[in-house]
Amino acid sequence: MANVTLNQIGKSYGKDTAVENFNLEIEDGEFLVLLGPSGCGKSTTLRMIAGLESITTGELSIGGIRMNETDPKDRGVAMVFQNYALYPHKSVFDNMAMALKLQKIPKAEIEKRVNDVSDLLGLNDYLERKPAALSGGQRQRVAIGRAIVRTPEVFLFDEPLSNLDAKLRVKMRMELQELHKRIGVTSIYVTHDQVEAMTLADRIVILDGGKVAQIGSPRDVYDYPATEFVAGFIGSPAMNFLPAVQSESGWRITGSDLLLPHPEGLATKSETVTLGIRPEHIEVITVVADPDAWVIEATVKLDELLGADALLNLSVQGFDLLARVSGTDFPEAGSKVHIRMDPARIHGFDPATGLALSREPISER
Amino acid sequence: MKSSPRFGLYFLVLLTVVISFFPIIWLILTSFKNTAGIYAWPIQYWPDPFTFENYISIFNNSPELLRYILNSFIVGVGCTAITLMCGGIAAYALSRLRLRFAGVMMVGILAVSMFPPVSLLPSLFQNFLNFGLLNTYTGLILAHAGLFLPFSVWMLASYFATLPVEIEEAAKMDGMGFVRIFLTIILPLSWPGFVATGLIVFIFSWNEFPLALVLMTQNAMRTAPVGISLYPGEYAFPWETISTATVLAIIPVLIITAIFQKQIVGGLTAGAGK
Repeated sequence: MANVTLNQIGKSYGKDTAVENFNLEIEDGEFLVLLGPSGCGKSTTLRMIAGLESITTGELSIGGIRMNETDPKDRGVAMVFQNYALYPHKSVFDNMAMALKLQKIPKAEIEKRVNDVSDLLGLNDYLERKPAALSGGQRQRVAIGRAIVRTPEVFLFDEPLSNLDAKLRVKMRMELQELHKRIGVTSIYVTHDQVEAMTLADRIVILDGGKVAQIGSPRDVYDYPATEFVAGFIGSPAMNFLPAVQSESGWRITGSDLLLPHPEGLATKSETVTLGIRPEHIEVITVVADPDAWVIEATVKLDELLGADALLNLSVQGFDLLARVSGTDFPEAGSKVHIRMDPARIHGFDPATGLALSREPISER
Repeated sequence: MKSSPRFGLYFLVLLTVVISFFPIIWLILTSFKNTAGIYAWPIQYWPDPFTFENYISIFNNSPELLRYILNSFIVGVGCTAITLMCGGIAAYALSRLRLRFAGVMMVGILAVSMFPPVSLLPSLFQNFLNFGLLNTYTGLILAHAGLFLPFSVWMLASYFATLPVEIEEAAKMDGMGFVRIFLTIILPLSWPGFVATGLIVFIFSWNEFPLALVLMTQNAMRTAPVGISLYPGEYAFPWETISTATVLAIIPVLIITAIFQKQIVGGLTAGAGK
């Protein structure tokens, strides 16, 4: 077990920069998720930690020892690949035993360790099989087993669940959670799936174009997104963004007559702002009791029942809003409704920099 | 309605097969005819009488045919072995080791292979003469290997490109060096690619004519195509002997193809990824 430190890590291919200035201290036993869209540099970062990619700038240390030039096999890391990367011509047992054989560990011990791990992962009945004779979930379990057998200091996961179907993905996600609780090894997990990130992570690092956009707990990145990019990336369906211009009495939404009051705690000196509100923080009001500046009229353009919830496509004085409401009783397309945005849940972003206007102190940036 | 384009497709396939196989079918039929049947007018399609005479007489009259076939076999096997070994190593290096100018080198290899073999003959002959390589198996094996190496590098490189890189990366993380990865991972996984390439190179070498003609001048060293082509005498054109010898020369290639066909179709990478 070990901590991992990324100090000013950067990677460039000629003139193209894939990752720049990445600083991160991953604690011993932590489950850290690197999250971002494809091409954001998350896989490159993981591969630099693994030693499959050279590090252009900065220093990587694992357990306090500089690892920049160390061979992948000597870094004490084990990796689980998206497409499993099992040796197709070797049995499950040999797949798991390979690293140990190469380390010249005595046969009896190899057998014991592989058997222990296959017990843990429920692979006992498949040890003699070739990977081709396994299901996708079983293959991924072998790939994880191959990593565990080596008793690494750090686990690296490169989108390990992406090749599985939706149902199996949920099951494996829970298994991974349980596994991490049980063996507690430092884990770095790359994904573009925010649900995996939210459910698995102690901390999430959100990457945007090779740069860190935010580092924080799942709660933090959801409640207090540090940038407009993070706000739009975390949460499904995505946050509504409304460009607005500041005026005496409040914010006027661009391209509409709607004037919203200043929500408390959101202050900006600039003239313009991008307001953000998540679909789940807009509610449909049936009875308008007291006059409330946050209640506005809207027309339902489209209603989509998801099951427990429903999505309402709303048209509000010249702009569109998406609201997520309870699926049991909701207005149908064409009806006129009153909606209320929760002022405490309104986010503001600087349109020029994309940075959040402070509402609460943001943990790290 | 839906079946009509299918029908058209099958018709075209059948037409192609008949046209391309016609010379071979004709060759086989001819080998079972007697001389009268070959020159009969109107054309005799089915041999009448159907005779094995030609097959018996060819072993009596031209026993050197077996020697020709053996020579072809030795040269083919040697050339295939060298081509696969050198081609495999070169293709792996060029496709996976992230060499600088790998693309340029691949194009260079292709460009070199574009010279017509005949243009190489004079200098090849002179050099082989100096090194004493004329009329030796080593000589023709080297010449053929040089001729077909570019093809095998390209074939194998494109096969390696279909193998998922992650398997090699996983092997790297397990602690293998690149030589070990090549021997224990790449070779077993690209077995079908090697078999396919080897088979094609073997057939190329078996059929190769100009180099074999010039570099092997002694009768005992001739390869099958050269030997058979020299059957016609000054006044006679012994079609029955030529067709029979050609059919016999095709047989070893057919057998080898039949043996390895399963391996080509095998596809060992199933199960590596999704």
